[in-house]
This record gives sequence, C-alpha cells and structure tokens, in this order.
Amino acid sequence: MEIHKTSWLMGLLVTVLFIYLLAPVILVFPISFSGDEVLRFPPTSWSLRWYEALFDNRDMLRAFWTSLTLAFVVTILSLVIGIPAAWVIVRMEFKGRDLLFNVFTAPLLLPTIVLGLAILIVFASFGLLATMRGLVLAHLVVSLPYALRILAVSLATQDRSCEEAALTLGAKPLSVFFRVTLPMLSSGIVAAAALCFLVSFDEVVITLFLTGPRISTLPVELYDYVYNTADPMVAAASVLLILLTLGVILVVERAMGLGRAFVK
Amino acid sequence: MMLERNMTASPSRTAKVAEDHLVLSEVGMTFGTADVIPSLSLAVRRGEMVAFLGPSGCGKTTTLRMIAGLIAPSRGRISVGWRDITRLPVHERDMGLVFQSYALFPHMTVSQNVAFGLEMRGIAKREIRVRVETALEMVQLGHLSDRKPRALSGGQQQRVALARALVVEPSILLLDEPLSNLDAKLRDEMRVQIRSLQQQSGITAVFVTHDQVEALSMCDRIVVMRGGHIEQFGTPGEIYEHPATPFVASFVGRTNRLSGVVEPSGRLAAAGQGLLAEGALPVGQVQIMMRPHRVALLAAHEHVPPGHNALRGRLTGITFVGDLIQANVRVGEDEITVEQPTRRSTALPLMGAEVTVSWEAGDTMVFAGGAT
Ligand SMILES: Nc1ncnc2c1ncn2[C@@H]1O[C@H](COP(=O)(O)OP(=O)(O)O)[C@@H](O)[C@H]1O
Ligand SMILES: [Mg+2]
Repeated sequence: MEIHKTSWLMGLLVTVLFIYLLAPVILVFPISFSGDEVLRFPPTSWSLRWYEALFDNRDMLRAFWTSLTLAFVVTILSLVIGIPAAWVIVRMEFKGRDLLFNVFTAPLLLPTIVLGLAILIVFASFGLLATMRGLVLAHLVVSLPYALRILAVSLATQDRSCEEAALTLGAKPLSVFFRVTLPMLSSGIVAAAALCFLVSFDEVVITLFLTGPRISTLPVELYDYVYNTADPMVAAASVLLILLTLGVILVVERAMGLGRAFVK
Repeated sequence: MMLERNMTASPSRTAKVAEDHLVLSEVGMTFGTADVIPSLSLAVRRGEMVAFLGPSGCGKTTTLRMIAGLIAPSRGRISVGWRDITRLPVHERDMGLVFQSYALFPHMTVSQNVAFGLEMRGIAKREIRVRVETALEMVQLGHLSDRKPRALSGGQQQRVALARALVVEPSILLLDEPLSNLDAKLRDEMRVQIRSLQQQSGITAVFVTHDQVEALSMCDRIVVMRGGHIEQFGTPGEIYEHPATPFVASFVGRTNRLSGVVEPSGRLAAAGQGLLAEGALPVGQVQIMMRPHRVALLAAHEHVPPGHNALRGRLTGITFVGDLIQANVRVGEDEITVEQPTRRSTALPLMGAEVTVSWEAGDTMVFAGGAT
C-alpha cells in the first residue's frame, strides 16, 4: 500500500519535472507555425511565414553559415590536436602526466564569463576580435578539454594487447597507430567530434565578446534579434536548431552503436 | 606457398634438432622494487616446443614478453641463432606471439587479421591472398574469412590468432596460455592441433602454461618455473620420473610426502621403518615422495616382493571411485594416499585396520631437507 502510494507519487513528480523541462522546448514547435505578428501562445492563426522570413533574413543566414563553418573547423582542429595529445598523456610515461591532464581539462571548471573576459583581453592585443581565426581559437579553448577528456578515457580503456600484437607482426609504431590504435578509437572520436561540434555551435557567452557587425554566429545573432524584436521567427530558428542537434545526436548514436560493435 | 614448403618437415630440419635456437643468458627483470626474474638462463633448440610451466605469478608471461621484445629485460642477453636481439625493437624480431586474450583486431575481418603481418612485410597482394587462404585452411576456418572476430566462438578466435601468428612464418612462435580460455573439450582438440601444426611447420615454439597436462602432453621439453627462477629443465619423462626438487615433484603430478631420515650409515627410514631407494642419498633429514598410483595397499601381513618398500600403518579413510580405490593410510606422523585400480574381487579393508603400503624401490624420491 505504502509502496504503491510512493511509486504513484514518484510517477507524478517525474511527469511534472518532465513537463517543466520540456514544455518550453515543445511550445516552440506550434509557435513557429504561427501566423501572428507577435510571439504568443496559443497562436490565433497558422502559417509558414516565419520560416519564409527566416530564410529571407540575410544576416541570419550568414550567421548560420558562419556557425556551421566555425563548428566544423573547431571540430576538426579539436580532433587533430586532441588525439595526439590524449595519446601522449595516456601512453607516454613521464613525470607530471596527471598534472598535464588536469591543466588541459581545467577550463571545463572555469566560469565561462571569466574565460570570455580573459580571451577578450588577450585577443584584443593580437587583433583577433571579430575574425574567424579569433572565433576558432576561442572555441578551441572550450572544446579541446571535452575532446581530450573523451579521447583520453577511450584510449585508456582500449585493450593494449592489440597494439602489441600488431608490433609482433612486424608493424612499425606509426603503422600500429594508424592501422590499429586509431580505428579502435573510432567510437571515442565520433563522440568527441559530436560534442565539439555542439559545444562550438551552441557557444554564446565567450562568442558575445568576440563578435561584431562584421562577423556573428547564429546563437549570437538570435540573441540580438530577440533583444530587439519579439516575433515568432526565433521560434522557427529554434525548431531548426533543435532538429540539427537531434540530427547530430542521431549520427553519434548510430556511429557509437557501430563503434561499440567494433570493439566488442 | 612458403607455408606449404615448411609444413612438410624436411629431413635436414630434423637432423638439425640439437642446434640451440633461442638462448637466454642470465636474463633478469625488475619492476620498480620487485625482482620478478632474478636471473634466468636457458636454451631452446631449433624446431622443438618448450613449455614454461609454473604457478600463476611465477614470471612466465614476463619472460615471454622479454623474448618478444614487448618489455626490455633489466639484465642479461637474449639471442636467436647466436644473434643478440636484446635491444632489437619488437617489430624487427620476427616472432609470432599468440596472446592469452587472442588480441585479434576487432575492426578487421578474419582474413584481414591474418593478412596484417604479411602486409607489414610488404608482400604482394596476390601472394598475400594465397597465403591467407592457405593459413585459414590449415586451421579449418576458410569458410569464416569475412567474419569479424566478435562473431566467432572462443575456439575459432584462438585458431585465427594462431593462423595470424603462423602465416608470417616467424622464426619463433610464442604462445601465452593459449588454451586457458577454452572449455575442456575444445582444449583437448586444440592441444592436438597446435602440436601437430608446430611439428608440421618445424617451428621453434615456447608454450606458456600453468597446466601440467598441457606441458607434459604437448611439449618436447619443459621448463618448470617458480618465483622467477628455473626449478628444472628436462623432457616430460625426466620431469615426471626424476623431479629435481620437491616443488617439481608436487607441481607436476600428484605425490605423497613423508618425512624421513638418512642415517650416516646410508640407511633410509621413515616412521622408524627402513626403506629402499635408488641412487645416492643425502645424509640427514629428508623428504620422501612417491606417486599415489604407484603405491599398493596390502593386508597387514601380506607378502611384499623383493625390491619393494613396505610401510605398516593404519587405514584412516577409503573411498571407492568405481575404477579406482583411494585410501588414506597413517604412517607415524604422515598420511599416505594410495590409489589403485579396482578388481572384481577387491575386498575393502576395514577402517582403522592395520595395513601395509608397498611400492617399488625405484619409485621412491628422496630430497634433502625437512618438510617445508
Ligand atoms: N608491469 C609490471 N609491473 C609490476 N609488476 C609486474 C608487471 N608485470 C608483471 N608483474 C609481476 O611479475 C610477477 C610475474 O608475473 P607474470 O609474468 O605475469 O606471471 P605468470 O605469467 O607466470 O602468471 C607477478 O608477481 C606480477 O605481479
Ligand atoms: Mg601469465
């Protein structure tokens, strides 16, 4: 009896919590199809006009391409730097290895606003403000720790005997890395890539310090837009963002499933 | 193609059997402060299969990894065919290693796994295909060449690992407990298969195991190891019949243990009763050992043939196991286990009865020193 009541209560609590968390996200969908001039729920008429408005907005489209390019470059660079770095930290035995790992992953704990200010000060003196290069560097600061952590954990849990087997079969250390270590790391790489992509694509706080009229990212552009206007176009943009994020997660899920299958 | 040539053992190969192939000279390994292998010296002859036999943790894997080059010995010298390879990198050693966990590449198919070593040697694609096919036929896995390792049973993975190591025709084959992850029936099959592959190809092989049956039944010679040193190096017959130490006697096969004494006159006695043994005897406290199945259980006053030992004792336990009778007999402070085949007319003596245990003088093993 007692247990029954508790589980019923738990069920209710979980449902309420779920609605509380998801309702704003779900509300975005009907609002994006609104035919009204202003943002309100429920809409009084329906249309696709805000999607049309979104695709007619040159600034928004430009920001979207900037974000996409930026996230792509940041992801590639995170992997190119993160994989060798993780390898060195996990596989080489040297003094201060743990310290290095902790320093590398420390920005994860730093308040982003502090990081943003620090980057602003440094970048200003190098003329990196409002440039693609500056945005890439700033996003790398945020994405690298994630990449490094995921890759290091994957590498540390990888069965070393496969690498040893490759060596005994006559493979030079570099061949071992490319033919055995890297393919066996594939699921970790996909996960790291997806996370870096999303982290960069969603990054607002640090980016706010670095963008301007010359260059802006989609989240920043949306933020500015909402600041000035209150029409349902942001809902349409949000829906597309949610779908993109879901798409990335889906890709990871499939790749990870395959990846896990690789590694037994 | 070369594989086929090697699989028919040539007469010249058999004639060269006595030549030393793999030689370890005073090899030692220290991990931090742990002196895992103090100093090890041994020589494996060309074409023979030698077992490293010993309890878990005695340093078998460590020794094998030093031979393969996966870890560098702290001291000593390893040579193959008189060439010093102590400092040679792993990928230049030309040794096939079969891991306890098989260590198949999970992202490659069976045939890609087997082809890997050949690719690393820069062999032509066409020849690789032929040799991979031959190697997979040899382990009866030709039909599974496109599977991924995870889709194979333990025994099949084991055979892929074996084919992968053998296809490159390494100078030496190293096997680290290759059968320990298989069930009993498969283990018997693989024992025969590994041995016949080794004999067909005439390859020098080191077989690490903690299972005395594997060592005795598969290998030409056995290195019995304990705590990082060699207790005895000999043929299975020598190891079993003439163990060099009490440890070897009790680790390889089962044994009874009696404390006894060799008097200055050379007389051997246990529990105050005189015994016969062959060979020279160490004066002082000794351990006397004999195998349970070489001991017979007799009635108290039954006739003991000449050249046999006899000890009087009291029957403390008896178990009928169908084809065997196991009996425990207390002699002085010690207990002797007797195992003898049953006969239809076997009359079981009563518990507590006075009995005689008897065995051939030649089956008596005597070791200096008291019981440890
Ligand atoms: N890398 C290592 N670092 C420290 N100790 C080790 C290492 N490898 C093995 N040992 C120790 O060396 C001893 C022998 O190990 P091993 O050669 O694996 O034994 P076996 O294969 O005979 O079971 C064990 O006590 C083990 O703990
Ligand atoms: Mg071992």
